[in-house]
Amino acid sequence: MASKTLLVAQREYLDNVRTKTFWIGILAFPAIFALAIGIGWIMQKTKAQQSYTVLDLSEQKLGERIEANARANDRIASLRRFVEQAGASEQQLAEIDAIDITDPTTWLDKVRGAEANVDPSKAAQLQRMVESLAEKYRFVPPAELGAAEGSQDDREKALRERVRDGRLFAYFVIDGDPVADAAKLTYVCNNLTDDALKDWYAGAATRVIRKLRIAAADIDPRTARHIQETITWKPRQVTASGDVEDVRNEQKANKFAPVAFVYLLWIAVFTAAQMLLTNTVEEKSNRIIEVLLSSVSPGQLMAGKIWGIGATGLTIVVSWAVFGLIGVEIGSQLIPKIAEWNLTAIARDPLYLASFIGYFLTGYLLFAAVLVAIGSVCNSLKEAQNLVQPVFLLLMIPLFAMVPIVQEPNGLMAKVFTYIPLYTPFAMMNRASGPPAPIEYAITTVLILVSVWLAFKAAGKIFRVGVLMTGNPPKLKEILGWLREK
Amino acid sequence: MDHALTLTGVTKRFGSFTAVSDLSLEVPKGCIYGFLGQNGAGKTTTIRMVMSIFHPDSGQITVLGHPDAAEIKDRLGYLPEEKGLYKKMKTAEIVAYFGKLKGMDSRTANSKARELLTRYGLGDWLDKKCEAMSKGMGQKVQVLGSIIHEPELVILDEPFSGLDPVNRDTMKDIILDMKRQGRTVIFSTHGMEQAEQLCDYVMMIHKSKLQFAGTLTEVKKGRDLGIQLDYDGDGRVLAELPGLSRLNDNGKHAEIYLEPGADPQQALRWLVDRVTVKRFDYSEPSLHEVFVRTVEEADAKLALAGSTH
Repeated sequence: MASKTLLVAQREYLDNVRTKTFWIGILAFPAIFALAIGIGWIMQKTKAQQSYTVLDLSEQKLGERIEANARANDRIASLRRFVEQAGASEQQLAEIDAIDITDPTTWLDKVRGAEANVDPSKAAQLQRMVESLAEKYRFVPPAELGAAEGSQDDREKALRERVRDGRLFAYFVIDGDPVADAAKLTYVCNNLTDDALKDWYAGAATRVIRKLRIAAADIDPRTARHIQETITWKPRQVTASGDVEDVRNEQKANKFAPVAFVYLLWIAVFTAAQMLLTNTVEEKSNRIIEVLLSSVSPGQLMAGKIWGIGATGLTIVVSWAVFGLIGVEIGSQLIPKIAEWNLTAIARDPLYLASFIGYFLTGYLLFAAVLVAIGSVCNSLKEAQNLVQPVFLLLMIPLFAMVPIVQEPNGLMAKVFTYIPLYTPFAMMNRASGPPAPIEYAITTVLILVSVWLAFKAAGKIFRVGVLMTGNPPKLKEILGWLREK
Repeated sequence: MDHALTLTGVTKRFGSFTAVSDLSLEVPKGCIYGFLGQNGAGKTTTIRMVMSIFHPDSGQITVLGHPDAAEIKDRLGYLPEEKGLYKKMKTAEIVAYFGKLKGMDSRTANSKARELLTRYGLGDWLDKKCEAMSKGMGQKVQVLGSIIHEPELVILDEPFSGLDPVNRDTMKDIILDMKRQGRTVIFSTHGMEQAEQLCDYVMMIHKSKLQFAGTLTEVKKGRDLGIQLDYDGDGRVLAELPGLSRLNDNGKHAEIYLEPGADPQQALRWLVDRVTVKRFDYSEPSLHEVFVRTVEEADAKLALAGSTH
């Protein structure tokens, strides 16, 4: 008996797995994923350089100092990011943070000193980073724009013309005495959505003007820095032995990992269940069902299909997991920071791995039972699609609950979801970082196995009658009648 | 006598519609048995009940000595009326798959599938996908899939429908080969020629009720003899034949039935004067005639029963 189920399952599996489109589909997912990330990066990289100029009418001629400050800040930011990614110590980072870029006499030497500590083989890389950041915004001297001489009105008129014809992205006007009152600073630009240049320049202006104001108020620079310090909280956590320890990035990643797993689980269940539905409807409209039923029982046929396509789904999931691991490995090689998150260790965590496989199977089986029953009563994919829409909407809900549950893995919402059989696999996977108490694992395992068993029984009854029906799909009342039959 | 299939008082209803009514039938082992009837008469329902796809509301069915075909699926072969194949599978693979589903081991099923396909003219198609085949070829593949495991009883629902003459002959060969190997073949058909040429026994259902069953000779016994006429000329005159009772004119061939007491010799003379007679045969009626007459008689009886109510 079981061997016939196996034969059906084997055929379904091979039928899917040996087509080229199947493997193209499997490859397409990580490829599109990589592309989506890549496109953002490329857009960032290929963003057109923005040209700007500054009409400096201020008494103190602040323009030059702000420009210098902005560039210095970029250079230090690049350096800091670079050494941080290379795994610098806190002390090294603190030294960089201590460089005062508002002090034109000292900052350059200090930056050069810090840059000299960089591994010589990587110095070129740092150099490229600095240059690419510097190229983002280009300062055009007013003289090149015909705005060096003349009255303020004439000069502004020339600049307005440049903004209009597109040679200039924007221009800044520094007027009055910004140290006393910054009301007369204007930014003229026709792009109303991209504020990056304005914010970048404003950051530098703030640093410069603040420094001058502190000096004017005769405050000791050390006191001033102390006052201006940004307050942060150092995250620590209580260990099993009752001590406290620092929170490492890796641990944070570990807590959020279930979100990724639930998402993958969801895609896998959705894909496999969808395949099952299409397959059942096609087989029915192909008129092959009756031939099969002369050799196997409806129960065997249904079980064979579900297992065969389940195996197909598992193949997809495993392939993705392999791609994911490869991706993480490559990522860790390229960017040291990724290695710190220790993603491969998370992926290899036996709790996550076992939960994932277990909940994929049970989650799939539950939805498979529903969809195979729907598929069996429909004559065309169109009919089926109308009927499955509510089911797919139900299937969407765990996606919305994903983040709230991971934030509070043992909270009320998490628990409610856990005991709705359709969502049990997703909710339990979602809570894995908690992790739930062993008793909850025991109860939910029983719950879900019983649900799968009941769903299979019901689906079997519908399938048995449904697959041989032609014409209009049956009414709900009729289906309930089939369920009552022995 | 040992029977491959016995039906006793079998009735099947779908809601208020009676598809098969009180059907009793015996199919001897080793024969070819034809199920005749109009579309919707109840043939397919009968076959599905025999295959345990439907269960009768009342009555008994015994297949190869068993009360339930589901228990002896591997000894039965079945080609349903709705025929389909997995389009993406290769022909040899799918035939072998059907064999494996019937319990054959993989190696035997594979070699047997290739042998059967080659024997019945599909040797060039062994490794081609089913979707590339014509309807007739697909139908052959399906029949081969239903007999690969050498079943004792084969039930073919409309095996000849939609086939060209060459494929029809191949189908005939397949059925005859089965009989020669001592197996029992039941098939349903609208084609009276095939039934007449192949069947040892025939039965006919009309509007859910059995009208007749037996050997061809038995079925035709007691029916009027008729004239089988092959001719050239204007067939419209045939309708004016003196003493004519019924006429089935096909243009080149006509079946002519005379009033009781009319003389076939006179009819021949009358015909020779009006059309070119190529063959004149006064003999038992064709199965076609028996079929058409049975339908008419049964409908007349029903109409009469309806009017008296």
